Amino acid sequence: MATDLTTRRSEPPIISAAGLNKTYIQRLPFSRKAFAVQALRNVDFEIVRASLTVLAGESGCGKSSLAKCLAAAEKPDSGSIWFEGTELTRLDGCEMASLRPQIQMVVQDSAGALNPRFTAAEIIAEPQEIQRREDRRGLHSRACELMEEVGLPASAANRHPLEFSGGQRQRLAIARALALQPSLLILDESLSGLDLSTQAHILNLLLDLQQRHSLTLLLISHDLSLVGQIADFVAVMHQGSMVEQGPCREVFSNPCHAHTQELLAAVRIIESTYHAAQAGAGR
Amino acid sequence: MRYLERRMLHASFLLIAVSILCFAFSALAPGNFFDEMKLNPQISPATVAALRSQYGIDQPLPVRYGRWVKSLFSGEWGYSFAYNCPVKNLLLLRARNTLLLTAIATLMSWILAIPIGVWTASRRGRWEDRFTQAGTVFLLSTPELVLALLLLQWIVRTHALPAGGMLSVNFEELTFKSKLIDLLKHLMAPATVLVLASLPLLVRHVRASMIEVLQAPFIQAARAHGIGKATLLFRFALPAAANPLTSLLGFSVAGLLSGSLLVEVISGWPGLGPLLVEASMNRDVYVVVGAVMASTVFMIVGSIVADLLLLIVDPRVRTS
Amino acid sequence: MKNKQKLVAAAAILVLLHLIIFFAGFVAPYNPASQNRDFPFAPPTRIHFVDTHGHLHFRPFVYQYTNRPDSFSEYVEVHEREYPIQFLAQGAGYKIAGFVPSSIHLFGIEGEAQIFLAGTDSFGRDQFSRILYGGQLSLAAGLLATAISLFLGLLVGCVSGFYGRWIDESAMRLVELFLVLPWLYFLLAVRSFLPLHISPVQAFFLLVGVIGTIGWARPARLIRGVVLSAKSRGYVLASRWFGASDFYILRRHVLPHTYGVLLTQAALLVPQYIVAEVTLSFLGLGLGEPAPSWGNLLANLQEYNVMASYWWMFAPALALVIVSFGYLKVANAIHEHLQSGSI
Repeated sequence: MATDLTTRRSEPPIISAAGLNKTYIQRLPFSRKAFAVQALRNVDFEIVRASLTVLAGESGCGKSSLAKCLAAAEKPDSGSIWFEGTELTRLDGCEMASLRPQIQMVVQDSAGALNPRFTAAEIIAEPQEIQRREDRRGLHSRACELMEEVGLPASAANRHPLEFSGGQRQRLAIARALALQPSLLILDESLSGLDLSTQAHILNLLLDLQQRHSLTLLLISHDLSLVGQIADFVAVMHQGSMVEQGPCREVFSNPCHAHTQELLAAVRIIESTYHAAQAGAGR
Repeated sequence: MRYLERRMLHASFLLIAVSILCFAFSALAPGNFFDEMKLNPQISPATVAALRSQYGIDQPLPVRYGRWVKSLFSGEWGYSFAYNCPVKNLLLLRARNTLLLTAIATLMSWILAIPIGVWTASRRGRWEDRFTQAGTVFLLSTPELVLALLLLQWIVRTHALPAGGMLSVNFEELTFKSKLIDLLKHLMAPATVLVLASLPLLVRHVRASMIEVLQAPFIQAARAHGIGKATLLFRFALPAAANPLTSLLGFSVAGLLSGSLLVEVISGWPGLGPLLVEASMNRDVYVVVGAVMASTVFMIVGSIVADLLLLIVDPRVRTS
Repeated sequence: MKNKQKLVAAAAILVLLHLIIFFAGFVAPYNPASQNRDFPFAPPTRIHFVDTHGHLHFRPFVYQYTNRPDSFSEYVEVHEREYPIQFLAQGAGYKIAGFVPSSIHLFGIEGEAQIFLAGTDSFGRDQFSRILYGGQLSLAAGLLATAISLFLGLLVGCVSGFYGRWIDESAMRLVELFLVLPWLYFLLAVRSFLPLHISPVQAFFLLVGVIGTIGWARPARLIRGVVLSAKSRGYVLASRWFGASDFYILRRHVLPHTYGVLLTQAALLVPQYIVAEVTLSFLGLGLGEPAPSWGNLLANLQEYNVMASYWWMFAPALALVIVSFGYLKVANAIHEHLQSGSI
């Protein structure tokens, strides 16, 4: 695995960002007051091809903003993003449209991201329907394939999203994101709000998918306890700036920045509590 | 005060827009008023010439509009071809009559609607409530036209009230008290129709608001304190329900105004309604525009009054 | 669910009413234009089951009417011969929906007697038939005008809510303008500006157009609200990331949310527009003679002696009330159904 990683690191990164800045201006309705929030401060970021990278940091540090810029859901105020050698920030609508299928995103709120009136099959088939890749029958069969792949029974194809549990809904969202065969999949806090065992199941699924399709995964999380154990690379953000990046082993054994240390400390507390509980029960 | 200023400014813009809209539609009319007027034997050539110079009847639309606006300031408000006089003379009189009818009808319908609504809300589900609901539904499905005709039919049969008009022939000779009674007698029929037409919707809204308020915790608390039913309803619940009801006031004025047109025509009440209908038949453009503007002014004033009432009634609106 | 049952029942009754009026040619015994100069202002024909000798007849029957010797417009029955009511009788020809010719009527009389279920007017025309045919025009006007208003409202609401900013601002100002106008006044004004003496067909479409274009404002505002709330949903954003066009999003995600609003508005607007047509025709500014419409049928009542003496001329009002009531019930049922679940 380690040699694998080093070879992969020497290849050009699948996506890289340099000098990203983004400020959000919030204006209160009917008032002249407005306040600006700088979400990204001069952020540089790279993702190695076919790896699992974790983007961590406390709430409000700018992880989601970075993810949205990478997914081209929003445009940064300044800076540039390269995807497979093409600069995203310079593209216009048409060129962007052809690149979009390759970068897909799954968000935290699965219930909101899925239209409650659609059936599961329709949801999964939607991206292809939009891109007009297949006809009706083809869409349905492809949807069933994808459902099987993410671990959902194909018999549930005609159910509505609210009839599924939270974990199943996330699987549904992941299946939808896979429909256009992306090369980069971004998961924005998709695991938060799920119980630990469900999180573990979904992480296993993601690892499977990564192997099968050579996917590059970017997981955004504020909790390193689970994800940190399987990720290849980790990037830590703090108040809009990227404070540390690198392979997990290196960063976890030698955290440089104070904030990284705090995050890891939190993980260790959980781990040590767990071990203490185990030891106590064993006695 | 600033709120009032803002509303007045807003209202002025609306009125200007309405007047432009009306004039724009008047341009749809085929043919030329000018030509039609020249053919009309009732209007002397001198009048025609005067109108032409003053109102620019043969000029394009923007010029006509500008001249009309000027006439607003000079006090003529346009010229009626049918009556051969400035529109102002007609409009003021008729507007006053419509205002009288509409104001009294609005007052009466609210005075009736509030007690009925409160009472049926307190007796929810029982036979009084069901009976009132059925009556409401029946009234709602009967258009004003039908109500007016039915009432008139009854009047014609029983001669209980005068069958039309606003004042009796011998009005001038009556004493003050008799004059008042005479006016009221003539007012009764059209006002009753208007009240019957607007009552069902008002009662429904009052009832719905009251039901919502009656379920609030503070009412339960008051009841537990032993506060009497009437006091509970009128001093505790009703003020809390006043907010949505005051907004309704603006709407009810609007509905009443449109409804009054028909009722005035059928019962012969000399208001803006018959004026407009006549002017429509005669293609008396300036009167038509004047009548529409007058009724729009009433609508806007009604809604401003409603908003002001809301400001007084609901302290939350004041502080926001 | 109980609410759904109520909705279905109310809708079924309404559909039945519409069917009766649609098949006016079948249900009505006479042609609306055929006159009986011998019977001006005849009262509704009495239907008997028992004759003057006391015999009970199986089939209902009527007597022939004739003028009272010394009066012009009072009638008495001639008890010589009984004329039974035929069902599925042959009568004057007509065309179903304007295409299919037929001459079978629901009921009729064979022989010289007439059956005027709702009396006649000054020309001796059967009011019952005229009410049914008039219903065709009045209902059609209401339905078409509603379609126009809802279409305009949907268009403006969607564009305004979806694209926002200055389009939205200007559209809402326009909506405010239309909402502040007292609609009947404005309706009359617009109607008056348009040519007064036009052919009935032109008059009909003119009427429909004018009524429809006055009432688009409220639906537009309601639909805009729906569109605003729908367009910020998570799945709409997700669709965009898949490259969905604006049109796709409107069609697939936003439009289904508007169905509820459209349905409720339709149930509210149709009766209002029918009343608008009736009002205009009543005042002489809508459909005119000889085309029957509930409005110009009721206009007869504007004459004093008609209102005083001939009570059956109120019959179109009854038809209007029945239709309004039907729509009110449906509107209530839709409202309750929407409150409880979702369409």
